[in-house]
Amino acid sequence: MKRRSKTVRKARSPARSAPSAKHGGKPDALDALVTAAAQALALPIDPAWHGSIKFNLQLALAMAARIDEFSLPDDAEPAPVFHA
Amino acid sequence: MPETEASDAAWSTAADIAAAVAAGRTTAESVVAATFARIRARDPLLNAFTAVTEERASARARALDQARARRETLPPLAGVPFAVKNLFDIAGLATLAGAKINRDAPPANADATVIQRLEAAGAILVGALNMGEYAYDFTGENIHDGPSHNPHDLKRMTGGSSGGSAAAVAGGLVPLALGSDTNGSIRVPSSLSGLFGLKPTFGRISRAGMFPFVASLDHAGPFARTARDLALTYDAMSGYDPDDPVCANLPAEPVTPLLDRGVTGLRIAVAGGYFKARTAEVLYAVDQVAAALGANRDIEIPEAERARAAAFVITMSEGGSLHLPRLRTRARDFDPAVRDRLIAGAMVPGALVTKAQKFRGWYRTEVLKLFAEVDAIVAPATPCTAPLIGQQMFTFGEAELPVRANLGIYTQPISFIGLPVVAVPVPLEPLPIGVQIIAAPWREDIALRIAHALEMKGVVAARRPPM
Repeated sequence: MKRRSKTVRKARSPARSAPSAKHGGKPDALDALVTAAAQALALPIDPAWHGSIKFNLQLALAMAARIDEFSLPDDAEPAPVFHA
Repeated sequence: MPETEASDAAWSTAADIAAAVAAGRTTAESVVAATFARIRARDPLLNAFTAVTEERASARARALDQARARRETLPPLAGVPFAVKNLFDIAGLATLAGAKINRDAPPANADATVIQRLEAAGAILVGALNMGEYAYDFTGENIHDGPSHNPHDLKRMTGGSSGGSAAAVAGGLVPLALGSDTNGSIRVPSSLSGLFGLKPTFGRISRAGMFPFVASLDHAGPFARTARDLALTYDAMSGYDPDDPVCANLPAEPVTPLLDRGVTGLRIAVAGGYFKARTAEVLYAVDQVAAALGANRDIEIPEAERARAAAFVITMSEGGSLHLPRLRTRARDFDPAVRDRLIAGAMVPGALVTKAQKFRGWYRTEVLKLFAEVDAIVAPATPCTAPLIGQQMFTFGEAELPVRANLGIYTQPISFIGLPVVAVPVPLEPLPIGVQIIAAPWREDIALRIAHALEMKGVVAARRPPM
């Protein structure tokens, strides 16, 4: 177990107090992403929802990774084609 | 009307009702009155309806009967009652889309295009149907309006998100209903509730007046208890609609006259690989359909698992984007299960969503190559029969998977590229299960011909439930 620093810590802002879904451990990068994205989107979220949102985002990113790893040429067109 | 006669009328097809009304053997008013009597008697068990339009329906029925009395030729669906998933605009009603928030919306100014077209064909709207919140659902459960109940076993889910549509048709309340399908929301409830369901080609049927979910993937389509009724409904709704920017500028191509052409000469294969059945019921159902069609070869749909993943990502992202204003101001009025998925969806990096759309282009090109070799592909519709309402997990081969996220594993890779599909019901006991008949774009005729042929052979049928 990590020893607590004796340094006085700055009070954490509510945004950084978002809990991790992992057994109450340290917030991880995904927790930070949820918090930051909520701020960027001006989307107030109840801290009680954080774990569920993180779970769903984790799932989406896992799905997206399956696509991200698939090599496509630079000139691959997105399926929806716009006509002016 | 004697009870036996009344109960038989509950199971009449749209074609039979229209013929009876046209011939004067019954009146549109009596059909509509009997429909509302059935709804009052049985809907408390099914929870299919969220609104009924009795005054409007009775007025339309009277008008049709008066037209007949004047010896006017009646339109092809004259007197046939139908209902619609409550994400379709009905003039004078708020369009709920299964959501508490939408109860506060002003009433729709006009009917959705598909309603207008069905009524122009003489069908009579009798009400709005229960659905999963904002269509982000495969179960048919709704935290605000309660779950719709599967007529084959009232403790079980109908499937969703067009749950009320499935309950109303499978439960004998109406012969026709409309639903929507983004990732499987017509095909999943068709499978679990033992019905014929059509998800047409993307862009075939107008979406004007339909509350959206995922603009890239939304389709409108019908449920029925026979393939012929499905074709009649499809024919009535087809045709270009300038009010829907996604609707293809193609003339309507009536399918009903082609149904009896059969399947001789059609090249039909069974989807293998990702689509290979892992439960006994699914395997049996697919095998029965394949054997009846003489489909003795497998075909691999490439990268289907990745296609499903891409559909998942696009759905979450576009859904999240659509609902962002509501999530900012009324998040607590959402179903938490829907809310948190949508919020997460709004957070998915755009670069990954763009990649998913590019993959979609690649996948469409590769899958369309298959239709140089085959005219139709047979695949399972759902990985299991209807779970219990509230059930969280189901057995999938050697694994246990969450119900909510996985009922659409077989449907998503197909709707992802807008292929037309008819879900056909294999009447297993105690619970039915569906099979997808997948055709090339714009070939609803082939999928419906196959469905009709299977029905005539007795391999598929919308079995009457025990209720």
